[in-house]
Amino acid sequence: MAVLERVEYRHVGQGMVRLDGEEKVRGQALYADDVPVPDCWFGEVVRSPVPRGRLRRLVFDPAFDFSQVCVVTPEDIPGKNIVDMMGQDMPFIAYDDIQYRGEPVALVAAPTRALARAAAARIVPDIEALPAILTLSEVVDRFHRNGEGLHELAGQTIRKGDIAAGFAAADRIIEGDYWAGHQEQLYIEPQGIFAIPEKDGGVFIQGSLQCPYYIAPELIVTLNLPLEKIRVKQTAVGGAFGGKEEFPTLIAGYCALLALKCGKPVKIIYDRHQDILYTTKRHPVWTRQRTGVKNDGTITAMEVDFVLDGGAYTTLSPVVMYRGILHTTLGYKCPHVYVNGKVYRTNTFPNGAFRGFGAPQAIWGLESHMDEVASALGMTPEAFRLHNALHEGDTTGTGQTIFEPMGTPDVLEKTLARSGFSEKLGKASRGTPRDGKYYGIGLCFFGHGSGFTGDGESRLKAKAALDLEYFENGKVGVNIRISSTEMGQGTMTIMPQIGADGLRVHVDHVRCPFPDTKYAPDSGPTVASRTAMVVGGTVFGAAEKMRRQLEAFASESLFGGERVELDDNRFTGAVTGATRTFQEVGAAYLKQHGPLRVMNQFKLPDTLRWNQKTFEGDAYPSYSWGCNVAEIEIDALTLEIAVKKVTGYYDIGRVINPVLAHGQIEGGLIQALGYAVMEKMEIKDGLYDASRMQTYVVPTALDIPEFDLHFVEYPYSHTAPGAKGVGEVPMDGLAPAVANAVKSALGIRINTLPITPEKLFAAMTAARRTGEAAA
Amino acid sequence: MKKITRTWIINGEERSVEFPPARRLLDVLRENLVLTGTKEGCGEGECGACTVMIDGEIVVSCLLAAGQVRDGSEILTVEGLERTPGGRLLQNAYLEKGAAQCGFCIPGMLVSSYAFLRRRPDITDASIKDAHAGNICRCTGYIKIIDAVKAAAERWPADEVVKS
Repeated sequence: MAVLERVEYRHVGQGMVRLDGEEKVRGQALYADDVPVPDCWFGEVVRSPVPRGRLRRLVFDPAFDFSQVCVVTPEDIPGKNIVDMMGQDMPFIAYDDIQYRGEPVALVAAPTRALARAAAARIVPDIEALPAILTLSEVVDRFHRNGEGLHELAGQTIRKGDIAAGFAAADRIIEGDYWAGHQEQLYIEPQGIFAIPEKDGGVFIQGSLQCPYYIAPELIVTLNLPLEKIRVKQTAVGGAFGGKEEFPTLIAGYCALLALKCGKPVKIIYDRHQDILYTTKRHPVWTRQRTGVKNDGTITAMEVDFVLDGGAYTTLSPVVMYRGILHTTLGYKCPHVYVNGKVYRTNTFPNGAFRGFGAPQAIWGLESHMDEVASALGMTPEAFRLHNALHEGDTTGTGQTIFEPMGTPDVLEKTLARSGFSEKLGKASRGTPRDGKYYGIGLCFFGHGSGFTGDGESRLKAKAALDLEYFENGKVGVNIRISSTEMGQGTMTIMPQIGADGLRVHVDHVRCPFPDTKYAPDSGPTVASRTAMVVGGTVFGAAEKMRRQLEAFASESLFGGERVELDDNRFTGAVTGATRTFQEVGAAYLKQHGPLRVMNQFKLPDTLRWNQKTFEGDAYPSYSWGCNVAEIEIDALTLEIAVKKVTGYYDIGRVINPVLAHGQIEGGLIQALGYAVMEKMEIKDGLYDASRMQTYVVPTALDIPEFDLHFVEYPYSHTAPGAKGVGEVPMDGLAPAVANAVKSALGIRINTLPITPEKLFAAMTAARRTGEAAA
Repeated sequence: MKKITRTWIINGEERSVEFPPARRLLDVLRENLVLTGTKEGCGEGECGACTVMIDGEIVVSCLLAAGQVRDGSEILTVEGLERTPGGRLLQNAYLEKGAAQCGFCIPGMLVSSYAFLRRRPDITDASIKDAHAGNICRCTGYIKIIDAVKAAAERWPADEVVKS
């Protein structure tokens, strides 16, 4: 704590203009498909037309001249034909079992895109079709029949106290189940990678990706190359949202396999239709919440089933489920908890990372259900939440103590006051429209674990390097070398802000270039809302180390041994008061010693305790908190839902750049708006039925509500400057707030996402028929 | 395939280019003319990332056969904005307000903003939203884009107005 209070921040906390902004507004930023790659071939994937079966053989059309193209089949893979992710169950190119429609069976490259496509169409897999499980509802049916015929990809429980005793102590037990479907990331830049074969037999992979140190080590196994021969560099990324976390390993592998075989650079840029059909989605969820409460509103027991549709292979679904189950009870005091998390296979494209990573699915169920519990007790939604919300010193479902002041319950109290929730709730339509509209208002309160789950950060040991060297403009400067990527959220701007404050120099002297595994150490993937907190803290520590080294150098070489302090761009002698600029001292250092590299490594506090088997202990290094109030209008004739206003408070720790942070919250809320009321895709014949931008509809400028959004700052005390997670937080809380608003407007609980007019019509018709519509 | 030649004023410069007539304007811009600022987000006119201005009107260049753009047409892409006072002002407003995040929709978004502001419209939230409804942004939630357009409108140069 003392460290944090002592630091004076000059750049941290300022809404500095993003450093990659100029080239973006000038159309000069180079995304994957913009980079000139001489003599580049184009790659295509031949895919299975059936969701499950046995591949007998590939039929090559004899009328097509395959000598003009390069074809890769499993026999061409130098290493093992597996994608080196969790479960090790996914082949790079299917050779026997087919587990989803669209699974690769061969790769093709050709000098033109048209020729590559033509060749791919002339390779036809001969497959014996087998029965498939395609949807989550089939999975849940089987789950209710003791898991009959299901293939479990992962399972994990959380236990606290004695769940039976918790229910025995309850006056009421309220149960509900909640569903949500796939969601597509829909970054505007489709997936794109190119691989260039190197003279030494290695490969240089560049493109649109979140995690350079996923791709390089994962491809070792497939390419049978040492790590140093697989170089990965990020180009500008046109949005990712998790969609470019684990998936690019596949496309990078396709490009690398083709490039190594044909000896040419190979590029794959998906068109939008391919991108929607053949990339990862948010996991569909079914979750059942069963809650025991006393009549005074005290929660005594929380029992949760949390079932995810993993798609065909394991990939990182277990980790999504872990984060999910850890958020199914988060935010509330409860002595007795039992959570049962499962991921089951369906024969569909593997589901994967998407902003929030299981937490939005968990909070969707939890926060819809908390309203139902309150309603069953005759309490208001806010009174019930205020009664049970965690305070400092309380423990979570894993037994973790809220160890320092945090935004719970502050964000809840402030959002309620600011939005006038209690008063407005009294004006909700409750099934009776006025002037052709139903009005509703809904609340959602939530936490979000910052950084990797449990002691993941201890195992990863995130590293950051700072290089003192000459910039190309001839000035001495510091390059921050980290593997954290800029994908629009602002890494390339906040890291120089943080680094400059650690060094105590002006931010003009600090840059954060695109990561390249040749220069940047592994700071971990750009995921889990960990970059500002974990990597930012590591960069700050490295910057402080570099400052001390430069002060020592200046003292000895330029100040005759007196104590020297670097502050505000200037080295000052403690005795003489003599000064030298950062440029002078930096140049002197480089002349005498050459480039200076300072490394730092992230370390969790020694007090952190986590049991990865039982899921007991400190589930996250810290938590961000948020609260949303959504106000909606539903057209009585068309049942169109308009989200009119969202009020919210967020605790994301110290705010590094308020303009960028607000941008994260606003953009994330609009993505969450899509999840809540618009974005719908279902499985039809093993593929997504919405597979183009024409049919997968996301919010436009015409759909956005009025926002009233604020931060409360409770810095993370363990590492300066004390940021916590921000990126995923806005995805968590809007869908349940809208569902709760719909309940107040119509008197009807909608328990599936997205909440569409068709769904409202069906629910209202059903309620009218059974005469149960709330008055 | 038979190729045709067209001469256009692109971002203020006269340029001749040869291409098969049915080639998409987007591909002629990006590949023949190496103006890669204009992006392909969907290839079917939904996302607006490929928006360019032809003779004062915005079009999605992925849905237009380049042969349909007649000789002498004035084409403006994101790369040309900085050569106009209004365009540069708009770029700066986007920067100041934090309107660009990943930046991939921004070339098309900026061209839509520019075409909108040149018409001297009534500046309201509704008119700005309408003018940008054909440009999808997945990062910003549009709030800061709307702020940027408002800020640029306040300082919009008098000589960058189309007579209607």
